Amino acid sequence: MATDKHVEHLVSSEYKAGFVTDIDADTVPPGLNEDVIRVISAKKHEPDWLLEWRLNAYRHWLTMTEPTWAHVKFKPIDYQAISYYSAPKSKDDGPQSLDEVDPKLLETYEKLGIPLHERAALAGVAVDAVFDSVSVATTFKAKLGEAGVIFCSFSEAVHNHPDLVRQYLGTVVPHTDNFFASLNSAVFTDGSFVLVPKGVKCPMELSTYFRINALNTGQFERTLIVAEEGASVSYLEGCTAPMRDENQLHAAVVELVALDDAKIKYSTVQNWYPGDENGVGGIYNFVTKRGECRGVNSKISWTQVETGSAITWKYPGCVLLGDNSVGEFYSVALTNNYQQADTGTKMIHLGRNTKSTIVSKGISAGHGQQSYRGLVKVGKGAHGSRNYTRCDSLLIGDKCGAHTFPYMEVTNPTAVVEHEATTSKIGEDQLFYCRQRGIPEEDAVSMIVNGFCKDVFQELPMEFAVEAGKLLSVSLEGAVG
Amino acid sequence: MGQGTRLNAAISSLPGSRHDVVRTHRQRAARAFAARGLPTRRDEDWKYTDLSRLTAALGDNWWESSGQPEISAVDAGVIEGQAIPDLDAYRIVFTDGRFDHGESEFPEGVTIRPLADLLESEPEQALEPLELDEAAPLYNGFVALNAAMATDGLCVCIKDGVTLDKPLYILHLAGPSGQVAHIRHAISLGSNAEVAVIEHFSGISDGTGLTNTMTNIRLGQGARLSHYRLQQEPESRFHIGRVEVEQARDSYYASHSIALGAALSRTDIRVNLNGEGAECLLNGLYVTGGRQHADHHTRIDHAVPNCTSREIYKGILDGRSRAVFNGKVVVHKNAQLTDAQQSNGNLLLSARAEIDTKPELEIYADDVKCAHGATIGQLDEDQVFYLRTRGLSEADARNVLTFAFAGDVLARMPHIAVRKFLERVVLGKLPQGAVLEDIV
Repeated sequence: MATDKHVEHLVSSEYKAGFVTDIDADTVPPGLNEDVIRVISAKKHEPDWLLEWRLNAYRHWLTMTEPTWAHVKFKPIDYQAISYYSAPKSKDDGPQSLDEVDPKLLETYEKLGIPLHERAALAGVAVDAVFDSVSVATTFKAKLGEAGVIFCSFSEAVHNHPDLVRQYLGTVVPHTDNFFASLNSAVFTDGSFVLVPKGVKCPMELSTYFRINALNTGQFERTLIVAEEGASVSYLEGCTAPMRDENQLHAAVVELVALDDAKIKYSTVQNWYPGDENGVGGIYNFVTKRGECRGVNSKISWTQVETGSAITWKYPGCVLLGDNSVGEFYSVALTNNYQQADTGTKMIHLGRNTKSTIVSKGISAGHGQQSYRGLVKVGKGAHGSRNYTRCDSLLIGDKCGAHTFPYMEVTNPTAVVEHEATTSKIGEDQLFYCRQRGIPEEDAVSMIVNGFCKDVFQELPMEFAVEAGKLLSVSLEGAVG
Repeated sequence: MGQGTRLNAAISSLPGSRHDVVRTHRQRAARAFAARGLPTRRDEDWKYTDLSRLTAALGDNWWESSGQPEISAVDAGVIEGQAIPDLDAYRIVFTDGRFDHGESEFPEGVTIRPLADLLESEPEQALEPLELDEAAPLYNGFVALNAAMATDGLCVCIKDGVTLDKPLYILHLAGPSGQVAHIRHAISLGSNAEVAVIEHFSGISDGTGLTNTMTNIRLGQGARLSHYRLQQEPESRFHIGRVEVEQARDSYYASHSIALGAALSRTDIRVNLNGEGAECLLNGLYVTGGRQHADHHTRIDHAVPNCTSREIYKGILDGRSRAVFNGKVVVHKNAQLTDAQQSNGNLLLSARAEIDTKPELEIYADDVKCAHGATIGQLDEDQVFYLRTRGLSEADARNVLTFAFAGDVLARMPHIAVRKFLERVVLGKLPQGAVLEDIV
C-alpha cells in the first residue's frame, strides 16, 4: 500500500524543534542526597521552613518504591545520575526587560516560532518563560499588578509572598502523595506562582513556556495557582525541547486551588522531544497535577494536548469538595514511533451536586502505546453528583495499541456516572470520500484527525488551538493506516 | 502443624492420592498455593475484594474440607426443593463437593465421568483437567488450591456432531453441615456438538463454608455451548468460581452468569477466542442486598482475526452490599476485524451500597470495532411518576422498574424454565417484590 510509504515518511521526519542552545549553565553535579537539597535551597536563598519541607519530602521519598502499575515500559531511572539544579548564569544580571534577556534565549524562542515580544505585544499574553529551572523573563507584570494578580516565578513568590506560599504549598499535592511528587517536593527548582485575589477576573491569559535545555538536567517545576473567592484565571503551559539522546526525567507538580465561585482553566500543549524513530531518547514526563475545588460553585478545567515525550504518565485530577463545584478534563494525546502514554484523570466527587466531564481522545500510530486511565469516585456525601466520561481512541497502523482502564467507584445512590469508550481506525469510507473530492490523502487524514479532536480543541484558548492543530499535523501528517 | 504439613495431610486422603502421579501433582499445586497465598487488596485484581471476612468466618484453615461428607445426606425431597422446578434436564447432583450417585442420571451418547472415579481408576487421564497454569491471567491462590484439593467434579465429553436433547443440569448443594468444597469440572465439546449446561449452586444450611469451583471448557470447531451459572448459595457462605473457555473456529459460547447469593462471591470468567469466526456472549446479573459482596472479573482474549464478543453485565445493589465488576477485552496483535462490545449497568437502591466498576480495553490491532460503556445511576423519577399516575403504589412502581432493568439480562436466556425460575428469584430479592409475581 502506498500508505506505508507515508508512514515511513512521517516516521523519518525529524523533530522540528530539535536543537540545543549553548548557554553557560550553573549546574550542580549529578546525585541526590540531603546536601544537594541544602545546596538547591541555599542557592535559592530559601527560608528554613521550606528547606525543612524539602528534607521531609526527601526522607519520605527514600521510604517509597517507584510505582510499576502504569502500562508503560522503560529502563530503570538512575536517580543518582541526574543533576538536580541548573540555572542560566546570566540570571545574576537580572534582566529587567526583554532587551536584557540573553539573545541566545530569544533566538531559541524564535526558532520555535514563539517570538516572545511579538506574542506578548500582539496576543496580550504575559509570558513567564522558564528556561531550564529559573525564570528569566516575566512580562506584563505592571498590568497584572494593577489588577492585583500575582504572577511570578516560584522563587520570587517564596521571597515576596512567603506567607501565601506557605499557606497553600503542598495542600493539594502533599509531599507524601506519590513517588514522583515526593521527589519533586524535595528537589523542585522553580516554577510559577499565581494568585488571583477575591473578585478579580485576570485581565489576560497567563502563559509559561517551559523548556528543558541543559544536558542531563531533570526538570522539577512546581506550579501553584490560587483563585480566591469569585476570581477567574486561564493559564497556558506549553513545552518544547531540544533534541537529545539521553532520557530526561521531568517530574513536575501542579497544584490548583479554587475557592468559592472561582474558576481556573489550565491548558497544556506538551511537545517535548519524543525520542527518535527507534525509540531512543526522549523525555520521561511523570507529572502530578491536581486541582481542588474548595469553595462552592467553583470550577477547574484541565485541557491538554500531549504530542511529545517518550513516556507520558500524568493524571490531572479534580477534587470536588465544594457543593456545586465542576471539574472538567479535555485531552488529546498522540503517540507515534515508540512513544508511550498512560494518561487520564481523576474526578473525586465529595460535595453535593458536583459535576464532572471527561473527554479524552487518543491517537496511536507507529509502535505507539496509549492508555486512558481514569478514576471517577463518588463519596457518600456527594448527593446528586454527575459524571460523563467519553474516551475514544483512533488507531493508525497495526503495530500500535490503545487501552482503556476506567475505574468507577460509587457509594451514593443519587449519583449518575456514565462512561463510554470506542476504539476504531480511520474509516476507509471517510478517506475515500475526501480523496474523491480531490483532497490528498495526507490532508484528508489530517482533517479527519482534527475532526476527531475537535471536542477538545474547542476548549483551548484560541492561540493555543492554532498551535495544537499545527502540532498534530506535524506529528501525524500522512500516517494512514 | 504448619500449613504445608496440613495441606499434605489433607491431600493424602483425597481421591486418587494413592497414585503417585496424582499425589505429586496435588502436592506441587499445594506448594504453588502456599507460595502465592490468599489474594490481598494489594493485588490489582482483588483491589475491591477483601478476603479477611473469609478467614474471619472460617478460621486459619478455611481451605480445609472437614472430612468425608455424608453422601446423600440430603434427601430427595430437599433436592426437589432446591432444584429449578419444571426443568426437563439430565440432573446431576453434588453434595458438599462430592458426586451424589443416588441422585444423578446420565444421558446416553456422551461420556460423563465423575472426576473422583477417574482419579482413582485412570489417574493419568484425570490429571489433564487438573492442570495448573500459573502464568494465566487472573491466576490466584484459589486456582492452585483447587488443583491441589479438588475432591470431585464432572468430566464431560460430547462427541463430534452430537446435540444433546436436554440440558445437563449440575446442582451443587451445600449440605446441612456446611462445608468447604473444591470442585473441578471439565467440559469438552467435539466439532459441531451442541449442549446447554446449567451449573446451579445452592445450599440448605445456614452454616458457613466455602465453595471453590473451577470449570474448564473446550469447544471444538463449530460447537455451541450455552452455559448457565446460577449462584444462589446461602448468605452465610463464600463462593469462589472460575470458568475458563477455549474456543475453536466458528464455535459459540454463551455464558449466563447470575450471582444472587453468598456473603462474598467472586466469579472469574476467561474466554479465549482461538479460532476465526468464534463468538461469545457473556451475559450477567448480580443482585445483592444486606452485607453481600459480589465480584465479577471477566477477560476475553481475541487472539485471532474475525471474532465477535458481546458482554452485558447488570447489577442491582441494595442494603450495605457492594459489587465489583471488571471486564477486560484484549485484542491481540493480529486480531484484525475484531468486533467487541461490552457494557455494565448498575442500579444503586441504597445510600450505603457501593459499586466499583472498571471496564477495560487493551487493543493491539487497528482494524477493529471495540466499544465499552458503564453506567451507574438510579431509577428515573419521571418513570416512577408515570407509573404512579397509572395507579401503582410507590413501592410497586419502583419494583416494576427495577425488575425491568434486570429483565433484559434474563430475556437473553433462551431456556424458558431457567428464565422463569430466575424471574421469581430476582423478584423475591426485591423489597416486597413478591407482590409483583402475578404481574410479571
